[in-house]
Amino acid sequence: MAWLGAGAPLRTIRWLDGTLAAAATFGGETYAIAAGDATWLDLAGDRATRAGVTFVGIETDLNLDYLGWGQVAAAAAAHLKAELILVDEASRPERVAEVAAIADVADAAQLTHVVSLSHDTDAIEAKRVAGATLQTIRVRGSAVLGLRIPGPAIEDYPTPTPTASRRRYELGEIGLDATVLAHRSQPPRANREPRKSVERVAELLAGHVIPGRRGNG
Amino acid sequence: MGTVLVHIDLDGDRLDRSSLSALAAGRAVATSWGATLYAALLVHGTPAARLSAEKHQAELGRFGADKVVLALSDTPLVPLWSALAGAWQAVLDQLRPRLVLFGADAASATELAPRTGARLGARLFMRARPLGGDDVELRDRDGGYVRSTDSGAAVVLVGGSHRTSPGDSGVDILTIAAAEPADSRVELVGTAAIDVVHSTGVIVALDDASAADPQIATEATKLAHLLGGTLVGGPQAARDKVIATTNVIDHNAPLAPELCIAIGTPAVDLAGVTSLVRIGPITGLHGRGLDGALPAPIARSLQQLRDELESSS
Repeated sequence: MAWLGAGAPLRTIRWLDGTLAAAATFGGETYAIAAGDATWLDLAGDRATRAGVTFVGIETDLNLDYLGWGQVAAAAAAHLKAELILVDEASRPERVAEVAAIADVADAAQLTHVVSLSHDTDAIEAKRVAGATLQTIRVRGSAVLGLRIPGPAIEDYPTPTPTASRRRYELGEIGLDATVLAHRSQPPRANREPRKSVERVAELLAGHVIPGRRGNG
Repeated sequence: MGTVLVHIDLDGDRLDRSSLSALAAGRAVATSWGATLYAALLVHGTPAARLSAEKHQAELGRFGADKVVLALSDTPLVPLWSALAGAWQAVLDQLRPRLVLFGADAASATELAPRTGARLGARLFMRARPLGGDDVELRDRDGGYVRSTDSGAAVVLVGGSHRTSPGDSGVDILTIAAAEPADSRVELVGTAAIDVVHSTGVIVALDDASAADPQIATEATKLAHLLGGTLVGGPQAARDKVIATTNVIDHNAPLAPELCIAIGTPAVDLAGVTSLVRIGPITGLHGRGLDGALPAPIARSLQQLRDELESSS
């Protein structure tokens, strides 16, 4: 199963397509799940259908934190009896944390930053980036993998196309209560208007400065 | 008033610098909140590894730790949740921390921090920094914050450079054994070094015109160094010897680092970047999805940005 998250990609659908293509290689009953508003579900459903993956949308106006969406994805996986959950980790920054949240609820192994994936009958072989190192890892059993695998380059951000064949779940159908889940709602964050002064851009970058380092080397 | 716990990574046999910076931030928070500051080091429980880790006790004290926790694992430690979970869970069970800090650039932070948050049911903050004088809070890049008056636990990846006044090197050490063995579902079968990391960290991308300008090229190189980033560009930048030949990026190659600073209009696919800052003229589609933008002249903007970063760190 592929978890596509609860919001449209920020800049491109390349990573969404890459995750769907990776999911499609597993054949059999493969599902793509997304949650959120109808426009996003139309886009996700369209891309999933093009990739040959069965799409299931969970329409909700909840705005949850990583633990809330982790519960939703894990509940959908349990409902579909999915043992392997691939997460499109690159399309939105908050998705990395959802890998851990889903794995914790599902009691599954987790791997983040996976950049390539292959599989045989016995195990999945994943390559993941850890700093300046590429790790090769074999995974058996239930697992949640955060993928950073791109699809083909696309010039324009596509217009969402409603898909008539889309399956739809209500939260109750996968064993979740929207009122209880709402306790994981996120407060609104600062808007994403670009910072346009040296001081404001420096504030953004300050969290990346290497301790003890100066620009002069 | 509760416990502040800092996870300390090892970089070879040295303490990771990003973790130590998080420890310094933790000191500021713990002092302000009246909390006890623990520094936890996970080690493979062989006598040699244990002895080596005990040598770090004094350094952790000097960086502000009130107490040092040594968590022993039965298996060799690699930056994967599956390998670290047993020892780390034992630390969490023992200390029941209210606030857990990680160095944002520490090797195991990406795997460990969000899962720690999930275990504790905690709020999670990426690349936060301590702010304030007497009443310190941690604030992330999106405006989220952790304050002493908050209820519930929080997990914070601390970014940037933070220093603390020297503490007491004679701190207590507490040794804890792993609660459970490593997860047998995950097997590390190999590792290899990567020349250019396209999908994590920081990338500074130059267009050909900027690479051909010595002043811009010099400032871009300094900024990349300050941020621990990789300077990339097209073949012309390599011919001009501004970037290494291994750092030439094909225009179709997708980049997905945590932060990209695009100087001019480099012909690379930046669509997977988490945070994007452009420096130079911005037209049409180049203005979409930006987190920051500084105008031309590029060299001046770069120099002012570097000055500002150096003065604030």
